Amino acid sequence: MDPVIFTTLAVVAKMLLLLAVTLGVVPVMVWFERRGAGWFQGRPGPNRVGPFGLLQPLADVIKFFFKEDWTPGNADKFWYWMAPLIALVAPLAAISVIPFGSHLVIGDSVVQMQLADVDAGVIFILAFAGLEVYPVILAGWASNNKYSVLGALRGSAQVVSYEISMGLALLSMLLFYGTFNMNEMVTWQTGTLWGFLPAWGCFFNPFAALVFWVSIFAETNRLPFDLPEGESEIVAGYHLEYGAFKFAAFFMAEYVAMIMAAALMITVFFGGYGFLPGMQTILEIATQQFGLGAAGIQNVTALLQFTSLASKVAFVMFVFVWVRWTLPRFRFDQLMDLGWKWLFPLSLVNLVFTAWLTWYMGQ
Amino acid sequence: MVDIIYPLSFLAAASALLALVMLFAKDALTCAMALLGVLLSTAGIYGMIGAHFVATIQLVVYAGAIMVLFVFSIMLLNLKKLGDRFPITSPRFLIGAVSGLAIVGAGTWGILQWIPQSYGTWDNQAMLAAGGNTRILAHSLFTQHAIAFEAVSVALIVALVGAVTLAKRKFE
Repeated sequence: MDPVIFTTLAVVAKMLLLLAVTLGVVPVMVWFERRGAGWFQGRPGPNRVGPFGLLQPLADVIKFFFKEDWTPGNADKFWYWMAPLIALVAPLAAISVIPFGSHLVIGDSVVQMQLADVDAGVIFILAFAGLEVYPVILAGWASNNKYSVLGALRGSAQVVSYEISMGLALLSMLLFYGTFNMNEMVTWQTGTLWGFLPAWGCFFNPFAALVFWVSIFAETNRLPFDLPEGESEIVAGYHLEYGAFKFAAFFMAEYVAMIMAAALMITVFFGGYGFLPGMQTILEIATQQFGLGAAGIQNVTALLQFTSLASKVAFVMFVFVWVRWTLPRFRFDQLMDLGWKWLFPLSLVNLVFTAWLTWYMGQ
Repeated sequence: MVDIIYPLSFLAAASALLALVMLFAKDALTCAMALLGVLLSTAGIYGMIGAHFVATIQLVVYAGAIMVLFVFSIMLLNLKKLGDRFPITSPRFLIGAVSGLAIVGAGTWGILQWIPQSYGTWDNQAMLAAGGNTRILAHSLFTQHAIAFEAVSVALIVALVGAVTLAKRKFE
């Protein structure tokens, strides 16, 4: 096949895969969120639509479709419509630089399992995470509603504040890895530590991992930090005036942002697509059973790597739900105190310590 | 190397168009968002020509931080429609326009003079061999240009302290 056509096809296939996975996880997560709520609170949860309530998200989608698509009278129409779109685009763009496997071998050509191998991948993601402030501000402002503006101000203040500690936590890991490239980070994390622990970033710098994990809860507006929503104080925050499918777009954007943040955390702190314990054995058994050649081994490896990343992300998503139904919501001043008076100085100290440690180890 | 001239010209056209929107839109927020679009497409151009680090820094600093500040101040001051208070025939505007065009023209001329000799030692192969452009940039920043780098950071801190002092006096 013509190499240009092949490359184009491969890129389109990867785009479709990423879209299908990230958007396809949303209904599953919506279902799990509600079933999980039931499970944690000792009640059944949605169990009438389909087996185990599995078709409940479908019912939700139908409801969203048939609701009246309403625009408030004094809203700034253009930005009111743009805000949900930007909300979806930013995390989807960020997810394009996350490597979800090493590479596939198809015929004579090699397909990198990553949409865009950007040299400064980590900063690229941070950049697009930074763009997630815009839909919040725009939605609140364009709705022309006091409660929406209040929600938008709270939301953007929160996202901007926690971005700092998130960035500092990432920076300390960059000192360890000595690279911005996410593939090189994953390669760095293969192998074992003291013979039994996988050599993941979180074991070298557990504090940064913790700070990062806390920060992504705030970045993605999840409980215990879902103050931008704040339905008990300010009705519903920045998306108060949104209904029907525009609200659903915000809702989807939140889950896509969660997947993106989880994948980033896995790649930087938890070994990325590196094998989980036991996967090497599966690979060896498969090689013996089917008599695989070099290309076959590489392809099975890539599939296992994808499975590894997917299962780690699934675990982080489970923790998102777990925390949501376990911890109560913070007050706004508590949230700001945690961000500025605790996480920020502590991650700064951690960064300086890591810099010293890297220098000392390099001696 | 895949031909990048089409995406590049698309991005260039997008940024020129958005720059025009920024100049002529009446709504302050639309102007700010158009400027954001200009910055994003410039970042895209940097990314296409292989300067990934500059592209991402453009996104983080300009799109992620400075433009948020712009949008915030527009929202908080509630600048709605600017209307037609802008006198396009006033001498002040004409002087500004002429000198602006002169600066742009001089800059373009200077760049055109400089381009034929500008291909330095770094092509894509050399860059990959040295470990990617982020690494090269970091090395030259912290070795060759270390003093300039530190001087710029001192200047930024001075500006920051100055801004805080000025703002504080106003509040007291």
